[in-house]
Amino acid sequence: MSTAPLPIRVLAPEGEPTEFLYKGRRFHIHAIVSRWRESGGWWNRIDDGNRHDPANEFSIFDDGARAIWRVEAAPEGAMTTFEIERDEITGTWLIRPTSRPL
Amino acid sequence: MSTPFTHLHTASGYSFKYGTALPSALVQRAAEFGMHSLALTDRDGMAGAIRFAQSCEAHGINPILGVNLSFLHKKYRVTLLAQSGHLASLYRLLSGINLGEENILTFPLLQRFAEHASKVLVLHGPDSQLANALAHRRTDEALSIYNSTRELFADQALEIVSHQVRGDGPLSTPLAARMLGFARDHGLPALLTNAARMLDRSDGPVADVLDATRNLVPLHHRHTERRNSEGYFKDSPSMQRIADEVARAAGERNGRTLLATTEQWGQRTVLSVRRDIGIGEIHLPEPAMVGAKDRPELIQLLRDRCESGLQRRYTGALSVQAAERLEDELATVRTLGYESYFLAVADVTTMARDLDIRVSARGSGAGSLICYLLGISGVEPMAYGLLMERFCSTLRHELPDIDIDVESARRLEIYDAVFNRYADPDWSKPNNQSRCATVAMVETYRARHAIRDVGAALGIPPIEIDAIAKALPHIRARNISKALENLPELRSLNLTTPLMKTAIELAGRLDGLPRHLSMHPCAVALSDIGLLDHAPILRNASGYPMVAFDKDDVEAIGLLKLDILGVRMQSAISYALSEIERVDGDQVNIDEIPLDDKKTFDLIKSARTLGIFQVESPGQRELVGKLAPNSFGDLIIDISLFRPGPVKSDMITPFLNSRQGLRKRSSIHRDLEPILAETEGVVVFHEQVIRIIAIMSGITLAEADEKRRDLGTIDGQQAVCDWFYPASLARGYEYSVVNEVWEVLRAFASFGFCKAHAAAFALPTYQSAWLKTHHTAAFIAGALTHDPGMYPRRLILDEARQWGIAIAPVDINISDRSYRVERTDLITRAPYQAPDLPSTGAALSLPDARGYAIRMALSDLNGISDEEISTILAGRPYQDLSDFVRRSGASRPVTESLIVVGAFDTLHHLENSGTAGAINRRDLLLHLQDLERLTGSRKNLGNGQMTLGLLPPALSASGLPDLTASERVRHEIDVMGMDISSHMMEFYGEFLNEIGAIRSSELIHQRAGASVLVAGVKVALQTPPVRSGRRVMFLTLDDGYGCNDATFFEDVQNSCADLLYRSWLFLVRGEVRRTGPRGISLRATGAWELAIEHEKWRSLRVCEPLSG
Repeated sequence: MSTAPLPIRVLAPEGEPTEFLYKGRRFHIHAIVSRWRESGGWWNRIDDGNRHDPANEFSIFDDGARAIWRVEAAPEGAMTTFEIERDEITGTWLIRPTSRPL
Repeated sequence: MSTPFTHLHTASGYSFKYGTALPSALVQRAAEFGMHSLALTDRDGMAGAIRFAQSCEAHGINPILGVNLSFLHKKYRVTLLAQSGHLASLYRLLSGINLGEENILTFPLLQRFAEHASKVLVLHGPDSQLANALAHRRTDEALSIYNSTRELFADQALEIVSHQVRGDGPLSTPLAARMLGFARDHGLPALLTNAARMLDRSDGPVADVLDATRNLVPLHHRHTERRNSEGYFKDSPSMQRIADEVARAAGERNGRTLLATTEQWGQRTVLSVRRDIGIGEIHLPEPAMVGAKDRPELIQLLRDRCESGLQRRYTGALSVQAAERLEDELATVRTLGYESYFLAVADVTTMARDLDIRVSARGSGAGSLICYLLGISGVEPMAYGLLMERFCSTLRHELPDIDIDVESARRLEIYDAVFNRYADPDWSKPNNQSRCATVAMVETYRARHAIRDVGAALGIPPIEIDAIAKALPHIRARNISKALENLPELRSLNLTTPLMKTAIELAGRLDGLPRHLSMHPCAVALSDIGLLDHAPILRNASGYPMVAFDKDDVEAIGLLKLDILGVRMQSAISYALSEIERVDGDQVNIDEIPLDDKKTFDLIKSARTLGIFQVESPGQRELVGKLAPNSFGDLIIDISLFRPGPVKSDMITPFLNSRQGLRKRSSIHRDLEPILAETEGVVVFHEQVIRIIAIMSGITLAEADEKRRDLGTIDGQQAVCDWFYPASLARGYEYSVVNEVWEVLRAFASFGFCKAHAAAFALPTYQSAWLKTHHTAAFIAGALTHDPGMYPRRLILDEARQWGIAIAPVDINISDRSYRVERTDLITRAPYQAPDLPSTGAALSLPDARGYAIRMALSDLNGISDEEISTILAGRPYQDLSDFVRRSGASRPVTESLIVVGAFDTLHHLENSGTAGAINRRDLLLHLQDLERLTGSRKNLGNGQMTLGLLPPALSASGLPDLTASERVRHEIDVMGMDISSHMMEFYGEFLNEIGAIRSSELIHQRAGASVLVAGVKVALQTPPVRSGRRVMFLTLDDGYGCNDATFFEDVQNSCADLLYRSWLFLVRGEVRRTGPRGISLRATGAWELAIEHEKWRSLRVCEPLSG
């Protein structure tokens, strides 16, 4: 399985990631292998739930919404697969390298 | 700007426990997005169709209708869409599924309904069997599925949906792309939808709770359908991006073709709100149904029937007046083409009368002379100034509303008669030609259900949820948190934990969502032969075919909606009449009694109105005490005043002040005098508003009623105002007069009441009061048997004692299923006498029912079944207990109950059971044990299988003491729920005397402001909404001498509210308030549990001699 994701800096000019910094190196995304969205499980986070959707003041639910891109990216020629994740509530970007095939 | 997208698959809240948004919200959003068309395709039904279409019309959106259904297997679903011009085919097909055996769409059904299915379009979406085959890469299977339905439907398409779910299963882009590729490879149409079930992304938690509720499980990933929040109502650019994403994944350049096909299919399915959906159309039964061969004959038939009624009911000058009015009304009906409406309703009331079932019209229909002449309504409209225009006019193109009240116990007989006449018995056939069905009612989430469902989903312990739900008043779910703040008895619950806060928030978001469809309790829809073309039908829980639309929808599509209300009072009246005939041999025609009987009004004025229709509640007793009605007209006023509007706006005080001569009646202008004279210058009735507008401005009554309706909205009010001033000034009224009249209209128009409606209600009020006055025992027997009112039976029973009626105990050889009247020579107490008050002039003459008894009924015996009563009655007479045990078929517990309430006392001569050596009820209980032992096994008891050759054991006195008086009463309450042999309060008599508690009948002699103690059994606890918004609790206590009403304001609620809900017997301290000549109530300052205070007193009394 993939390791725990790390926060990273991502360049995403139109909402879609194109480049990112990973372990001090600049990676360029060559192709998006797949992308998907996930959310749910808010009922497991009721007691710690201080992470509200700032866009929706009426919502007290932490629905864990996230969009995920599985990409092919390379720093200076070396090709690796990563998952880049944007937490849609806080806007934080996360990354986890993955060797899992599609 | 991008091309607007058309959503062809959208679930609203009418997909019960699935969709999170109301159709109107979806339509509004579509309009905001600049879309032209929108489909509503709810799961398994189309109950939201009419509201949806109405919203579409309001927002300029083209409606498309469809339904999402299980196809072949429960787990696979397709979406059916109606083609333009062929909505009826979709309705017919859906009704076929609903009324058939299997409840899902199958091949045999499709073949049977081929002529309808062949006009319907079908979409194979992500839940379809076809998509499932493609998900497993079984292309051939997918193709054969597609081909198998090709001939059955008008056309079919692949429905491409991507919610960008991870992986390549349903709702993922990879599967969507594979479906698109499949369609392209085989030349099949493919279109894009979002299969939306939410309005916004943030509605995910609501969808999850609905999933959990639908599946009756707590929230868990396994049971929630969504994997993300993408199944919401997306705007056009978002849908275009999805189209591009899917198309690219399928190897195409962009999603343009996909979008173009979607648009094409949208155009094929757009419906006309009027032509297709039928909003604003009218479908009445054809002339042949009411006995005419065509329209001219229909018109003549209505005229003939009315004229014969006219001859029967009117004479002299009045008949000329009536004939004129009839002409006017007939002209109106003719213009509107409503002849068959009136005749069909009359047909139903005649059917009821032919079955010997009491019927009376309620509502504005009583304003129509035609309704009176056809026997639909029993109130003569002209004497009371009732107006046809309030009911029905050429200016209003909606069907008028007639409600009829019938005996509740026999309501379904009328349903059956109506179905017999108007329905086609084989409901499952494709072209069923029924003209009638019951009507649906949409149950929506309110506070209690919302909190229960959310609590269960979140796994909150049932006990906690139950406590909150039970404590919540019947309010909207979104008001829960406010309600919780205001209810002191809930403060003990811990509602501030994150879990509870979440539950309350979620419950608020369920607010107003439909939960399920049930049968409207009284509405029947009648139409022309095409009922099943106008609406989908399903079978409701009671087995009646039911239109899937609610009453407003049914009216919107022009079906005749007839409310047949079961009114227990009508059953009680009917029962009383039959008892009068049985016992006294009098045949009373209650519908022909004069409406000016002084004794009847004396009884009403005495405020001893328990059991009388409409005027028995504590508030009404207070009002009739103040108002002292002297005529039928006064009763109409009384009923009109006793509603939240007049109470809130305090119309009652000026009216009563004028009436009691405390205030000079104000007169605005002499033209208005005749209109307002009956109500002391106060505007009470809609009819008065209509007449005032007409007389001041010179328009017709029909036009004036339109103006009155306009007054109901703020915009309308402004428009009427702008018109009214110039119109009445032009007629020569002075500005100050116009100004004053306008203020009155503005203030009272919205609170006014339809006088015809009140008059229709006043009739059973008067009839029941008349019966209570002149045939008290029969009336009370009817009330006990049919339980028509708000009070428990034990209070009605006590009411019988108040008028000198003896209460005869259950007797195994005499008691019937229901309460029976008997003549008796038993000495009873003297009937209640109203105190002679100088303010009301003459003394009231009240009923004296001595000489009559009411025999307790078997049906109120705890645990007795209908069959048991039947076998007991069939086996009569019984020789003794052992004979009863052998032949009656009664169960052991029922036999025991019968013994302890004295049903065998007469049979075994237990009258002298007090004397030594005599047999008593305890002996009978022992005897029953012996009898049971003899038969060996409990189940043989009562089966008539007493072992042969063995004589039954003898009944003998055991020497045990008999039951004490208080034990008897306790048994009576346990077994029958009533104190029969004596009033419960009698056991507290000594205590109450000693502490100086006041009897309810003596309260009237207390001075206002005095602080008194009263006691009694709780008979009602009400917390009606009041003007200030603060909660007031009204407690009614019965002490055996009548009722005490005590009002608890907020200051005492903190200490008492919980007690008032929890307990049964109270001691209350309060200040006396006088509310009118005979009106009296208490402002409570404290409440205690009577039994506890009594116990304290007793222990003190026992101790005192010791200490002294």
